[in-house]
Amino acid sequence: MRVETIRAAGGRPAHIRHDDLISAKGVSVVMAKQLVLQNIDLSVPKGSFVSLIGPSGCGKSTLLKVLAGLVDPTSGSVSIAGLSPVEAARKRMIGLVFQDANLLPWKNAVDNASMLLGIADKSLSRAKLRARGQEMLELVGLGDSAHKRPHELSGGMRQRVAIARALALDPKVLLMDEPFGALDAITRDAMGQSLLEIWQRTGKTIVLVTHSIDEAIHLSRHVHVLGIKPGRITESLDIGLPYPRDLSVTEDPEFVRLVVQLRTMLRASHQPGGAS
Amino acid sequence: MSDQPTTNFSESRPESRPSSSWGAATGSWLPAVILLLATIVVWEAVVRIFAISAFIIPAPSEIAQSLVAQWGTLMQATLVTAGEILFGFLVSVAVGIAIALVIVRFDWLGRALYPLVVLFQNVPKVALAPIFILWFGYGLAPKIGLILVIAFFPVTLSMLAGMQSVDRSLLSLMNSVGASRTQILFRIRVPHSLPNLMAGTKIAATLSVIGAIVGEFAGASDGLGYVIQFASTQLDTALVFAALLLVSVLGIAFYYAAEILERIVVPWAPKFSQS
Repeated sequence: MRVETIRAAGGRPAHIRHDDLISAKGVSVVMAKQLVLQNIDLSVPKGSFVSLIGPSGCGKSTLLKVLAGLVDPTSGSVSIAGLSPVEAARKRMIGLVFQDANLLPWKNAVDNASMLLGIADKSLSRAKLRARGQEMLELVGLGDSAHKRPHELSGGMRQRVAIARALALDPKVLLMDEPFGALDAITRDAMGQSLLEIWQRTGKTIVLVTHSIDEAIHLSRHVHVLGIKPGRITESLDIGLPYPRDLSVTEDPEFVRLVVQLRTMLRASHQPGGAS
Repeated sequence: MSDQPTTNFSESRPESRPSSSWGAATGSWLPAVILLLATIVVWEAVVRIFAISAFIIPAPSEIAQSLVAQWGTLMQATLVTAGEILFGFLVSVAVGIAIALVIVRFDWLGRALYPLVVLFQNVPKVALAPIFILWFGYGLAPKIGLILVIAFFPVTLSMLAGMQSVDRSLLSLMNSVGASRTQILFRIRVPHSLPNLMAGTKIAATLSVIGAIVGEFAGASDGLGYVIQFASTQLDTALVFAALLLVSVLGIAFYYAAEILERIVVPWAPKFSQS
């Protein structure tokens, strides 16, 4: 039932709660006797772009891993389109992108882009995999670098291949853990802008972990601020700036206001403890 | 793999400047060659000036003479030793790889096997030579056995290190789409380990030479090790040196063969030749 409602809705107006693709309820994670995440409630509407931001050690990466089914919550529950994260991942609903592109150095860009799809669906022929990889490389703007090996690509290009690899699965949600964290400022801006365009073209739901205030506001529709000790969501901020956005949005007075507001929230999130 | 290498591909490679790299290569070889020649000249001079007896230290010219005079015997012995080295090396690499794969693929077996492999590494392998002769006779088998026990370890160890150094987030990616352990092993871990494995293989190539010579010392009727032992009982030190020279040439040949293999197997591996 639930799945049908989600499929039917299609568009992406914000704040429609029954249209959540991801919903986490009361998620806590204890690792090595430390409370890493405490009582996280998070809902990600279908087709939305949500950022998680917070100081180092706030558990934002762990939260992303919980959503991806890579870490089991100690208590609480996560559902992705009505399924558990592990089930959703097996059904290729989750695309993952990490800070390191993690490309296989012995494969060229197109084979890297289709590598995970090949593992997930063994019935696909080599030719079909190649075609899909090529299609995804074109989507991320690397159509003419298909035969290059990772060492011939720049850091930004490698990360584009990693995004293509995640998209090749045709996932419902893209979970990204500081995907542009290792890139220089200019490349980072360009990658953010590309990601926005990919998002608008594909209509994927995106959850982005970042520690860049500008990136969070430039890209997302909702920003959740996480605090430390224990990791918990302290504030949530809706970014009302209209899409499509480009880099000129950073000069918008509303953008500047949101940066100040988010910075204040982040500063508060550095204080340990404190109920929210 | 890729059936249509584009021109773009080769142009963008930074190391495609043959003339200057050749110049750099001769530049780096030259000091070594000069030192070698100088050593030979000084050696020759010292032996002649102090009239040192040829069975204590033969002059380079005497070694050369012996090399020419005994050329037929020496070549025959070289061929035998080279065969032992090659065969033993291949067996060592195969066994080394197999042990590493078993350790990584099967947890329980790996936990049983790994400490034993490390323990065995502490046995002085050279001391096993007489036992191998006792078990396998004077033929090829004891030499292969000895090379195996000496040379498999660096292969196993380097491959294990390579297979276990796969980035965790790459494993997360694989796990998230439900990849099996076998898939992760053969699609990720094994190819990832190849640069390490090739480094271990180069060490194994050098150790194989040692293994063959030690095996021949312990008991043989042919091969360079046998020639060295026989010549030293005859006080034909020049012949000993001539055989030693050929052993060194064999060692270098096997090392570079392994290095060429490395370039072919792992073209993406970092190269240390350029500083």
